[in-house]
Amino acid sequence: MKTVIKKELDFYLNNPIGYIVVVLFAIFVNFFYIKDVFVSSVVSIKSLFNILPWFLMIFIPALSMRIFTEEKRLNTIEVLLTLPITEKTIVLGKFFALLILYGISLALTLGFVIFLFIFSKLSLIEVLVGYLGEILFGASLISLSIYISNKTKNQLIAFFISLLSIFFLIVISSEFMGSVLPRIVIDNLIYFSPVYHLQNFINGVITLKSLVYFLSVTLLFLFLTINDLKKRD
Amino acid sequence: MIVLDSVFKFFAEKKAVDNLSFKAKEGEIIGFLGPNGAGKTTTMRLILGYLKPTKGKISINNQDPIENRVEVLKNCGYLPENNPLYQEMKVREYLDFVGKIKKAKNLEEVINNVGLTEVVNKKIEELSRGYKQRVGLAAALLGNPKILILDEPTSGLDPIEQDKIKSLIKKIAKNKIVIFSTHILSEVEEIATRLIIINKGQIVYDGKKPKEKGGVEKLFKRLVKN
Repeated sequence: MKTVIKKELDFYLNNPIGYIVVVLFAIFVNFFYIKDVFVSSVVSIKSLFNILPWFLMIFIPALSMRIFTEEKRLNTIEVLLTLPITEKTIVLGKFFALLILYGISLALTLGFVIFLFIFSKLSLIEVLVGYLGEILFGASLISLSIYISNKTKNQLIAFFISLLSIFFLIVISSEFMGSVLPRIVIDNLIYFSPVYHLQNFINGVITLKSLVYFLSVTLLFLFLTINDLKKRD
Repeated sequence: MIVLDSVFKFFAEKKAVDNLSFKAKEGEIIGFLGPNGAGKTTTMRLILGYLKPTKGKISINNQDPIENRVEVLKNCGYLPENNPLYQEMKVREYLDFVGKIKKAKNLEEVINNVGLTEVVNKKIEELSRGYKQRVGLAAALLGNPKILILDEPTSGLDPIEQDKIKSLIKKIAKNKIVIFSTHILSEVEEIATRLIIINKGQIVYDGKKPKEKGGVEKLFKRLVKN
């Protein structure tokens, strides 16, 4: 699997697009967080964790849209699938490469957090649990985007379907949906939203229900992608 | 040994491979001929487990290429049609990537034999078509596989490059099963020890290549036009 992870990481690290996406993500997230902290004058990590899903809605599809579409468009998928490597290794290799890139991008938000941690009273547990939540949140979105990327040969289509899917998952837990849909529908639908589950982590609480949710979504889409790759029709 | 036993492959309603049966033994260089759309590429993909037969049985060294895909592919080298490559990679990077997956110990040997030494640090996208073809061939040869499947290895190359690739195939073919498809009939006369002609998914000829010059072309035209 290391070989596949390295190949994928090399692509992003040897390509200006990889840097552009990661740096833009870091600039925008840091800007909006720092702006928020100064405007509200309340020192909290929660506003960072709350704005992240909206940025990830664009960042993760942008990062993962090529992961299978390009293999299919250029037919290098035939090269991969005729090498002695399992479909599971291919998918997990690509998944972990994207997760590492996401981890690097997330680490670029740490600067101001460390500054606040040193000069004010941020709770270490709150910070750690929040970041754990964001990693799990991102992992589930990466898994979903990989699955979508494997369904088409067109990067733009993969990008927009991923973006819309993530947008839908985010807004089903929003107050706006609560005012539009009947209460009973929202009460049931909200459990499918990763943002709803992320809130527990943002509040510094790790709940089994949310942990299971993120792991299930991640594993489900990885499994579906592996299964799709195994089809030999 | 490669065994295809009454293999059929349908794509929706279209029959791409129609009751195909043949065996290939070590030491054979099989020229696989057929007009466009005859089912050559599909057959090669079926042998490698990239496609699943709709009906029939394929075995590679007594193993099913779908059920034992990884084990089967350890003994196979494949040059796909149009030679898809990771263009952004350097030649060594790409061969190293394939070599690691194949656990190959012959990377340097292959680079030398295929004549890639001088371009090994260049990006694949910067190479000429001939060199790209050599990269694809080198990747197929990594791990010293017992079975080589080459889908139009000289396609689009100038005559000099074609000769180089043909010499290479002859050089590396010893103690292997080589199946190569081509549209250049003279190539079969030069390299192949056996000839299989396929038309509309069916084998129309399986045997020795004709001995006289131009015999393959005459045979091909007679069998395929009818």
